Order: sequence, then C-alpha cells, then structure tokens
Amino acid sequence: MTLLVDVFTVLAVAAGIVFFIAGTAGLIRFPDTSSRLHALTKADHLGLGLVVLGLLPRAESLGGVLRLLAIWGLVLVSSAAAGPMLARLARRGARGG
Amino acid sequence: MAAAALVRFGLLLTLWIALAGAGWKGLAPGVAAAALSTWWSLRLLPPAPLRLHPIALAGLVLRFPWQALTAGVQVALLALDPRRQPEPRHVTWAPSLSPGRARDAFLAYASLLPGTLPAGDAPDGSVVIHAIAGAGSAAAGMSEEEARFARAFGLDD
Repeated sequence: MTLLVDVFTVLAVAAGIVFFIAGTAGLIRFPDTSSRLHALTKADHLGLGLVVLGLLPRAESLGGVLRLLAIWGLVLVSSAAAGPMLARLARRGARGG
Repeated sequence: MAAAALVRFGLLLTLWIALAGAGWKGLAPGVAAAALSTWWSLRLLPPAPLRLHPIALAGLVLRFPWQALTAGVQVALLALDPRRQPEPRHVTWAPSLSPGRARDAFLAYASLLPGTLPAGDAPDGSVVIHAIAGAGSAAAGMSEEEARFARAFGLDD
C-alpha cells in the first residue's frame, strides 16, 4: 500500500513538474503578453493541482490536506482575478493607449 | 447584513485555521485577520441575495477539474510541441449577463477555462476574449459556459 502511495505521489508530482516546465516554455515561446498569461495560468494551475494531488496522501492530518487544498484554491482565485485585468492592460498597451 | 458578516467571518477564520493550524497560539491573530477581512469584504462586496441551484452548481464544480486538465494540456502542447503554433486572436463575445458583479465573477471563472482569457470590454458593450487557439469556437464556448454558470447561481430566472 505504501509503495502504491509512493508511486502515485512520484507520478503526480512529476506530471505537475512537466506542466510547470510547459508553462515556462510558453512564457518564452508565445508571441504576445496575453498568450503568455494563458501559459502562466492554465499550465501552471494544472501543474500545481497535480503536485497538490500527489502530496495529499502524504499529509499527516486533515489540517495538512486542507492546507494543500487551500493553497491551490488561493492560487486559482488570485489568478482568476488578476489574469483578465492583466489581459485588459496588455490589450490597451498593444493599442497604444 | 449581520448574517452575511457572520458567514464570511466563519469562512475566513476556517481558511486561517486551515493555513495556520488549529492551535490556540495562532488563533488571536487569526480572529483579528478574519474580522478585518470581513469588514473589508463587506465594504468591497456588499451582501446580495444568491439563489444557488445545488445540482447545477455541483455539475459546475465537478466539471472544473476536467476543464483545468483540458486547458493545461492544450497550453502545454502548444508550448512544448514545435509543430504547433499558437494562433492568438481577440474575438468579441456578447454576454447574456448584465454588467456587474455576476458578469465579473463569470469572466474571472472563464479565465480558468480552456483557450479563453477575457480581456476587457469592447466599445459596443461586448466583451473581448483573447483566444490562444481555435478563435472560431471561442465565443460559442463562452456562451455555453455562461449558461451553465447562470443556471448554477440562479442568474437565468
């Protein structure tokens, strides 16, 4: 059972890291600010979600589980609020006003 | 107002305890932080009646992990596969929700969905959406998601 949990954790965290790498690659490769925001939000959210998912079985208490979920939730909420604002500013900047 | 304040205080204090732990040591600053945040949130977002539809809301919540997976995979493929290129476009989309907090909440939610990122209002009152690929279907997808969102929060009555 412990081995299964370990394997699950390793796979989920490794997959999460792949999505963080993809987000960073998008930040470098994508041609405009708003596209880079897609990379930083969507790929990194999934990456963080998978890391959290992988760490959940290793939490020592319910508090640890809640803490991990709260971190993911806070990141989602803050980027849902900031993403559209930054995209609006980027569009205004691209129009020169 | 008092009931809304109590609910918000309870939720914020629960969040504090989830993050900082349930010990007595951290409870005093937690109560102070939750009280201050409650006061500030009531100023920024006064309470308004909310008619949640539990089944539609559960559907929206359960659908989100799949949406997050689709969004992340789509962006990761565009970023990592040299044969794929992003085709960023701005498209305008006419929302059904009136301007205000419900529309703002939906647009924040929509920024987490696959391929779309709201980017402000157009001069004609529609909303500009930044689509990273498949701009043609972005507006239709937004309308579908808006309908689901409106049903879950009772905004379509």
